[in-house]
Amino acid sequence: MLSYIFKRILSLIPVMFVVSCVAFLIVYMIPGGPATALLGMEATTEQINALNAELGFDRPFLVQYADWIVNVLHGDWGDSYFLHQSVLAAIGEYFPPTLSLAVLAQVFSLVLSIPLGIIAAYKRGTAVDVAAVTASLVGTALPGFLLSMFLMLFFSVSHHWFPVAGYAGLEQGIGEHLKYLFVPALSLGIVQAAYITRMTRSSLLDVLYKSFIHTARAKGLKERKVILVYGLKNAAPVILTAVGQSFGSLITGTIVTETLFNIPGIGMLTISAINRRDVFVIQGVVLFVTLLYVLVNLAVDILYGIVDPRLQPGRK
Amino acid sequence: MRRKLVSCIVAITMCAGLVLSGCGNTKSETKSDSKDTATKTEAKAEELHVAIAANPPSLDPPTVNSNIVGGIGAHVYESLFAMNENYEPTPVLAESYEVSDDGMVYTIKLRQGVKFHNGKEMKADDVVASMNRWLENSAKANTLIGGSVFEKADDYTVTLKVNQASSDIIMILAGPIQFAAIYPSEVVEAATAEGISEYIGTGPYKVAEWKQDQYVKLERYEDYQASENASSGLAGKKNAVTDVIYFDVVTDAATRIAGVQSGQYDVAEEIPLDNYAELADNSAVKLNVEPGGTINLFLNTTEGIMANEKVRQAALASLNCEEILLAIYGNEDLYQVNAGWCNPTDAQWGTDAGKEYYNQKDTEKAKKLLEEAGYNNEKIVLVTTPDYPEMYNATLVVQEQLKQAGFNAEVEQYDFSTFMEHRADPKQFSMFITSNSYNMLPIQLSVLDKGWAGLDRQEVTDGITAIRSAASEEEAAKAWEDLQTFLYEYGAATVLGHYTGVVATGANVEGMEYLRFQIYWNTSVSE
Repeated sequence: MLSYIFKRILSLIPVMFVVSCVAFLIVYMIPGGPATALLGMEATTEQINALNAELGFDRPFLVQYADWIVNVLHGDWGDSYFLHQSVLAAIGEYFPPTLSLAVLAQVFSLVLSIPLGIIAAYKRGTAVDVAAVTASLVGTALPGFLLSMFLMLFFSVSHHWFPVAGYAGLEQGIGEHLKYLFVPALSLGIVQAAYITRMTRSSLLDVLYKSFIHTARAKGLKERKVILVYGLKNAAPVILTAVGQSFGSLITGTIVTETLFNIPGIGMLTISAINRRDVFVIQGVVLFVTLLYVLVNLAVDILYGIVDPRLQPGRK
Repeated sequence: MRRKLVSCIVAITMCAGLVLSGCGNTKSETKSDSKDTATKTEAKAEELHVAIAANPPSLDPPTVNSNIVGGIGAHVYESLFAMNENYEPTPVLAESYEVSDDGMVYTIKLRQGVKFHNGKEMKADDVVASMNRWLENSAKANTLIGGSVFEKADDYTVTLKVNQASSDIIMILAGPIQFAAIYPSEVVEAATAEGISEYIGTGPYKVAEWKQDQYVKLERYEDYQASENASSGLAGKKNAVTDVIYFDVVTDAATRIAGVQSGQYDVAEEIPLDNYAELADNSAVKLNVEPGGTINLFLNTTEGIMANEKVRQAALASLNCEEILLAIYGNEDLYQVNAGWCNPTDAQWGTDAGKEYYNQKDTEKAKKLLEEAGYNNEKIVLVTTPDYPEMYNATLVVQEQLKQAGFNAEVEQYDFSTFMEHRADPKQFSMFITSNSYNMLPIQLSVLDKGWAGLDRQEVTDGITAIRSAASEEEAAKAWEDLQTFLYEYGAATVLGHYTGVVATGANVEGMEYLRFQIYWNTSVSE
C-alpha cells in the first residue's frame, strides 16, 4: 500500500508539469494583460504597452515560462499585481472559505442523500422510491444558480434568517461563520445530494440481491443490520467514489456559488484573476486546483482499500 | 400508473415550492418592518454598507480611470481643487491662487494645518510630489497639460508652470476622474508601476481595511480639517456622518438587489435597468436616477473600407437611435435622445450641433451613399464585449440596422480585456460601441484622443486649441460646437443617446448626493 501511495505521488510530477505548460500557454495566448485592467478603460495603447514592458510581458514565451517554472520549483509562485501579496499567500487566504463551504455542503449532501438512497433502495418500486428518484432527477437537472437564487430569496430576502451574501471567517466565531455559509452550502449540498442519492440507491440495489444478503436474512438477522452493516458496507466503494468525486467538484468548482454569495474563495479568486489578467494568480490557481483534485482522488483510492481490502492495489 | 404517480409528485413538489415562497413574501413585509428596523437602529447608525459592482483594481485614483476607484478615493483623498455642485472648480486643499499676467504661472497657496491620516501635516513637498506624479500618470492630465511642472515656493505655497496659457487650467486640476489626489511625499516616492501601496490622504475617511474581493472599510478620520465653506458637490464641508463605510464588493447584480431589499446593504450601486420597474414598486427601496453619460458608436476613420467617408456617413444615416436606446434600456425614463457629446444640461458645453447627422433613420439614404462609395459587400466588423450588457445589446441592434441598409455587418465579441485590445487597434475593428461617463470638459472626451479609436485629424487639434485659447466662455462654447459638428460631418463617431445610472437605497437612507460619484460623507441611515 505504501509503495502504491509513493508511486501515485511520483506520477503527479508529469501531470503537474503538463498542467503547468498548458496553464502558462493559455494565459500567454489570451489577449490582454494586467496592464489593461490596472490602467482602466480609457488607457492609451502606449501606456498599456509601457506597463506591460515594465512587468516583463514583452519577453519571449520560453524565457517567461523558464523564469516562472524555476521560481515555482523554488517555492516562489510569483506575486499578484492586484492583491499586493504573493500567489501562495493569496491561495492560503482564499482557500479556507472554499474548504469550509465544500465541507459544509458535503455534510448537507450526505445527511440528505445517504438516508434517502438507502430508503429508496429498500423501498424499491414504492411511492417513496419514486419520490426519491424524482427529487434526485430534479436536483441534478436544476441549474445551481437558480436553486441558489431561490434559496437566497426564501432564506434571506423573505425571511431574513440568513445574510444575503458575504463571509465571516472562523476567527469571528463558528456561529457567524456558519451563518454566512448556510445558504450557499445548502444549495451546493442539494445538487450534490441528488447525485449521491442515485449512486447510493443503485449500488445498494446491486448488493441487496446478492446471495450473502439472502443468507444473512435466512440466519434471522435484523433487517436494519442486514441493510446498514452488510448492504452498506459492500456498497461503500461505489458510494465512496461518488462522494470523492462530489467533494472534488465542490472544492474546485464553486465559482458560481462563490460569485453569487460573494464568498472570497478559490472560485472567486479564479474569476477575478482571469478578469483582471492577474497572470501569476491564474497559473498558480490552476496548479493548486489540479493538485488538489488529484490528491482528493488519491485519498479516495486509499480509502477504497481501507473500506474493502479486496480492492487494495496489488492484491489479487 | 407509475407515470401518473411521478407526475403527481412533481406537481405537488412544485406547488409546495410556490406556496412556500409565496408565504415567505407575505411574512417578510411584516417581519422586516418590525424586527429588522430595531436591529438596524443600533447597528446601521454607525455603519453604512454600500454594495459596489466590482473590486477596485487599486486605491490610487490619479493612475486609474475607473469610477469605482474614484468613488471610493473621493472619500479618502482630496485635491487642491474640486467641483462644487454647480460644476465650478472650488479650492479644497488650496486656499487661494493667483495667475501671472501671461497666464503661464499659477501660484497656489495651501491651507495650513491640514493633516494626513498618518498625522503628518500636508505641506508643499507633498503637493509637489503628488501633482507631478499626477501629471505624469494621469492620461487625461498628460494630454491636457503634459509638460507642466509643480514647484515648491515655500512650505505653504506651490507654483504651477504651464506650457501653454489656457483658461481651463484650474478646471483640469479639479477634474474628478483620475483626480489629482494629494498623498504624503513618502507615499509618492515609494510608489511603483503598480501604484501606491499605502492609502493615506487628507479626506474625511481613512482606509481601515481593504479585503480584496470582499470590502473596503473606511473609518471616520477624527482629525479631519473640514473646509469652512458649505458642503457642495465634491467641495466644501464634509461631515463624516456615519462612523464606518463599508464598500462591499458584490459583483452579481441580483445579489446586490436582494441585499438592499433585505436590508443587508443600505445602498446598491449599478442596478440593472431591467429591474427598474420592479424596484420602483417596492416601498422599502428608494431609487436614485442620475445622469451618467453617453453611449457612443466609434467608426474606423483610418483603415479599410470604413476609411471612406461616404461609408461612414451611410452608417450614420442608417441608425435609429430611439430603437437602439429602447432596446438597451427598456424604459423611456432611463435615457435621452440627444446628439450632444456633453451633458445637455451643461450651460456651456451642452449642444446638439451636428444633429442633422444624428438619428437619421434613413435607410434609403444609407443605401445610396454606399452605392456612391463603391461599397462591395466588404465585411464590417463590430467588436464588442458581453461584459457590458448595454454596449453588447446596442451593438446587436446597430448590426441589424446596418444590415438593413446593405452593410455586411458582423459582430465579434470578446471578454473585456480582449475587446480593449481590439478597440485600440484600427486594424481590428470597423466600429465599436462604448458607454462613456460625462467629462467636465469636452476636450477630455475619448473621441478626441487618437489612441482611442484612431481619429487623427488637424481639425481636432485645431478645435481643441480654439476651445482652450478662447477669450470668453461663449467663444469656447462656439469652438466646441464647431468641433462637435466636425465629428458628425466627418463621420468619426456618433452619440447614440444619453444614459442614466440607477442606485437603490433603503428607504431609511438620507443625505446621499451625487457628482460624478455617489457621495457618502453626509449620508446616514435614519433610526
